[in-house]
Amino acid sequence: MKLLRSFAALTSALVLSATSLTVQAEIMGIEGTTTDGHQKTFNLEAAAAAISTPDGDNLLIWAYGDLDNAATEVQYPGPTIIVHEGDAVTINLTNTDIAEPVSMVFPGMQNVAAVVSNDLNIDGSTDRVVLTEEASIGETVTYSFTASKPGTYLYHSGSNPDLQVEMGLSGALIVRPATNPDSQAYNNADSAYDHEYLYFLTEMDTAIHQAVDLGLQPDTSNYHAVLWFMNGRNGPDTMFDHNVAWMPHQPYGSLTRMHPGEKVLLRIIGAGHDMHPLHTHGNHFLQIARDGQVLTSDPANAATVGADLAFGDYTQQVLPGATYDAIFEWTGRNMGWDIYGHTAGDGSLCNGQETASDSTDPVSFEDCRYHNAPIPVDLPENLDLTFGGFYSGSPYLGSMESLPPGEGGLNLNGGLFFMWHSHTEKELVNNDIFPGGMMTMLIVEPPGVPIP
Amino acid sequence: MNKKAISLMVRAVIAGAMISCAGLASATVYTQCPGDLNGDGDNIDAGEDSTVKCMHLSGGDGYIKMADDRPMYMFGFGNMTGVPDGQVMSEGVLSAEFPAPSIDLKEGQPFYLTLSNVGMVMRPDLFDPHTVHFHGFPNASSVFDGLPDTGIAINMGASLTYYYNVQDPGTYMYHCHVEATEHMQMGMLGNLYVHPKQDGTPIEYPAASGRIFDKFVYNDGDGSTGYDVEVPIQIGSFDSRFHDASEGVQPLPFAEMEDNYPMMNGRGYPDTVIQGSLPSVDSYLDPGIPFKPGRQTQRVSTHIEATQGEKILLRLSNLNVTRFYSLNTLGIPMQVVGMGAKQHISPDGKKLYYKTNSVTLGGGEAIDVLLDTADVAAGKYYLYTGNLNYLSNGDEDFGGMMTEIIVN
Repeated sequence: MKLLRSFAALTSALVLSATSLTVQAEIMGIEGTTTDGHQKTFNLEAAAAAISTPDGDNLLIWAYGDLDNAATEVQYPGPTIIVHEGDAVTINLTNTDIAEPVSMVFPGMQNVAAVVSNDLNIDGSTDRVVLTEEASIGETVTYSFTASKPGTYLYHSGSNPDLQVEMGLSGALIVRPATNPDSQAYNNADSAYDHEYLYFLTEMDTAIHQAVDLGLQPDTSNYHAVLWFMNGRNGPDTMFDHNVAWMPHQPYGSLTRMHPGEKVLLRIIGAGHDMHPLHTHGNHFLQIARDGQVLTSDPANAATVGADLAFGDYTQQVLPGATYDAIFEWTGRNMGWDIYGHTAGDGSLCNGQETASDSTDPVSFEDCRYHNAPIPVDLPENLDLTFGGFYSGSPYLGSMESLPPGEGGLNLNGGLFFMWHSHTEKELVNNDIFPGGMMTMLIVEPPGVPIP
Repeated sequence: MNKKAISLMVRAVIAGAMISCAGLASATVYTQCPGDLNGDGDNIDAGEDSTVKCMHLSGGDGYIKMADDRPMYMFGFGNMTGVPDGQVMSEGVLSAEFPAPSIDLKEGQPFYLTLSNVGMVMRPDLFDPHTVHFHGFPNASSVFDGLPDTGIAINMGASLTYYYNVQDPGTYMYHCHVEATEHMQMGMLGNLYVHPKQDGTPIEYPAASGRIFDKFVYNDGDGSTGYDVEVPIQIGSFDSRFHDASEGVQPLPFAEMEDNYPMMNGRGYPDTVIQGSLPSVDSYLDPGIPFKPGRQTQRVSTHIEATQGEKILLRLSNLNVTRFYSLNTLGIPMQVVGMGAKQHISPDGKKLYYKTNSVTLGGGEAIDVLLDTADVAAGKYYLYTGNLNYLSNGDEDFGGMMTEIIVN
C-alpha cells in the first residue's frame, strides 16, 4: 500500500498553531429582545408551512417562528430559545393561520403564567387535550416565567398536543448558567465544553400530515412513523449547514465537529412520540444531566460537588419528553498505531520527542506510546474496496490519499468521520428509502482546522 | 421442473461462476494473523505463537431454523477461523450463523479480525460489500469502524483485516454496517465482549464473606463485579416478511418493518433451553439449495445454569433494528453493574449499581447484570421479555424471547 500523505506536512504545521484557533461553537437560536439585559421578550408565531423530505415528499407542517426577525420563516423544530439563568422571560405567541387554537408549554420551567390578550379560547367541548392558555387565529397569548435553573429543555404545544406536536409545534429551550455561560452547561465546572450541539429527535407519520392537508380527520391514535428527524431534518440533509436556502423551514443542521482532546456538549432532546437509542460512533460519552437536573449526589451544592453521579455509555436511551446532557471526547488513545501516520525520521514530535514515550502530546493529543507506529495490517487494494464518500483515502488523521475516480470527496480536511444515529436502524430510512432518517456525522478534525 | 428449482439452478450456476472468477480478478481471500505459520488464518496450531488473537469471518448469506421449524433466509457472518485461505470461498457458501460467531477477547491482547466477503449465493443479483462495526469500542478510528460511509468496506471475493488494540473490558457487540437497516435486519449481528486484566486474581467479596471470585466484569479493584458463570445473551428479532422478500428478490418493506420472531442469541423459546448448538437446518431446506449438510448455524447457547451460591453474569445486549425490549427475571433480582461497556460507577468511583427485576434495552445498548443465587432456592427461574406479546414465534403464540435460569 502506498501512502501519499499529501497533507502530513500541512498537519505538522497546523499542529503548532492549534490552541490559538480553538473557537467556541454555539447552538443556533434566538435570544429575544431586552432593554435591561434581564427581562427577555420573545415574539413568536405559529403558522402552517410545507417541508420537503429526502424521499421526495412534501408535507404540511405547523410550526413556530420568530416574529422579531422578519427574514426568518416558521421552522421545524421551532426557534431554539436561549436565555440565561434568572432571566424573566416573556413569550408572546400569535396564531397566524392555524385553524385550531395553539399554545406553548415549557416542561421543567416552574410557575409559568399565561394570559391572553383577547377572548379566552379554552375549548369547552373537552374533545381534545388542553394544557394551558391558547390563541385562536389572529390572537396572541402571553406566557411568562423565570428561567431559574440552567439546562436543556423543550417546549411544545399544549393544545391538542398529540396532533399539534406531530404537526411540528415543538422546539428547544436552553437556559445558560450564571457561571461561565458560554462554556459550561451548568454552574458546575465539570459541565465545561469546547463545542456544543443540539440533537432534537422527532418522527412523523405522513398519513397524519396528509389528512390535515386534505381537511380530513387525522387518526393520531393509530400512529406509524415513517420519517425520522434530527433537528428537524432527515438524513442526509442533517449534515448540511444551518440556514441553507433550499430548506427554509428546516434551518438547523446537526453536523458535529471537534478536535482531538476537546469536549463536546451534547444537548439531546426526545421531542417525539417514540424512544430512540442514540449511538455515538467513535467513543463513549459521559451523561451529566437529565431533564435539566445535574446528576449529583448533592443538588443544593451541585455547583461545587459537580456531576458526581455521571456515568459513561455508548448508546443514550432517549425517551419521549426527556432531555439529556452529555460530554463527549475523542483522542485516539490506545489505538495501537500512530493516528497521525508519523514515521520514524520524518521529523515529527510527540510531546517534544521524536520517539515513542509513555505520554500524551498536549496539542494533538496523540498517544505517544505509539508514535511512528504504522497501522498494523495491510489494507486491501483499491479494487477490492468500496469507499465511503466521507473517507479521506487515508486511515490517518489529517492525511489524504488519492481514491479511484468518483470515490470520496466529502472529506475536506482529512478528518475522521463517525456516524451518530438512532440504533433502531429501521429509523435510518426515509419512508422506505435507505439511507436517511435519524442520523448525522461527527467529524474529528485535525488540530488547526478552524471550527466555527 | 418447477419455477423454484429453475431459480435455484440459475443461482447455483451464477454462484459457481462467482467463485471461479474470484481467482481470476485481483480479489483474493487473504488472512493476516501474526504467528500463523501454516496459512490457515489462526495462530493456535502446534509451534505457532498465539500472543495476538486472530479470527476469520465470512460475510455472506445462510439459513437458520426458527423455533416453529420454519427455515429463515438471512445474511450473516460465518466462522472461517482455521480454514486455509484457498478454501474459504467454497467453504464460506451459506456459512452465515445467527448470531454471528462470538468474539471473546482479553484486555491487552491485540486482535486481528479478517473479514472475507464470500458473496450471497441466494442473491446473485447483489454485489454488496460488508464490514464489521465494533460497536461501542472507545477512541475508534474511522478505517476500522466498519461504517461504509466514513471508511472502507470489502467487496466480494476479497478480505479486509481489522486491527484492534483491546484495552477496555466490557460488553460490546458487532455487526455489519453496510446498508445497515437491511444487513442488520437480515442478521449480520453478534456478541463481542472483553474480559478484564483483573481475571485470575482471587478477590473476596464482600470482605470476610468467604466468597472468592477470580472472574470479573471490569477491573473493579474490589471484586464487586465478580462472577462464577458467564452467559452473553444478545436479544434480537426478525421480520419474516422482510426475510422472505429478500430471499424472493422482492422490494424490501423498510417502512412497514415489524419483527415477528423475537429471539435470544438467535433462537426462540423453547429452543433457548437447548444446550450448545441447535441441530442443522439442512433437512428443512429445499434440496437444490447448496447448503453444506450438517452445518450448524445457531451455535450460541442461552442455557443458564449455576450451582446455588454462585453468581451469574448476564451480558445483555440488544441488536434488533425495530424496537426496545424489556428483559425481566422472575425470582432472582438482577444487579446492574455495567452499562455500555463501562462499569456503572461515577467519575470519582461511586458505585451506581442497582437491583432490578427489569432492564430495558434499545438497539445498540448493552448492560451487565449479576444474578446472585445465594439467596434463592434451587429450582428453575425465567428470563423473559416483559413485552409479553413477544413471547411468540411467528404465528405461534408461544415461545419467543425467553429462557430458563437453572439453579442446582
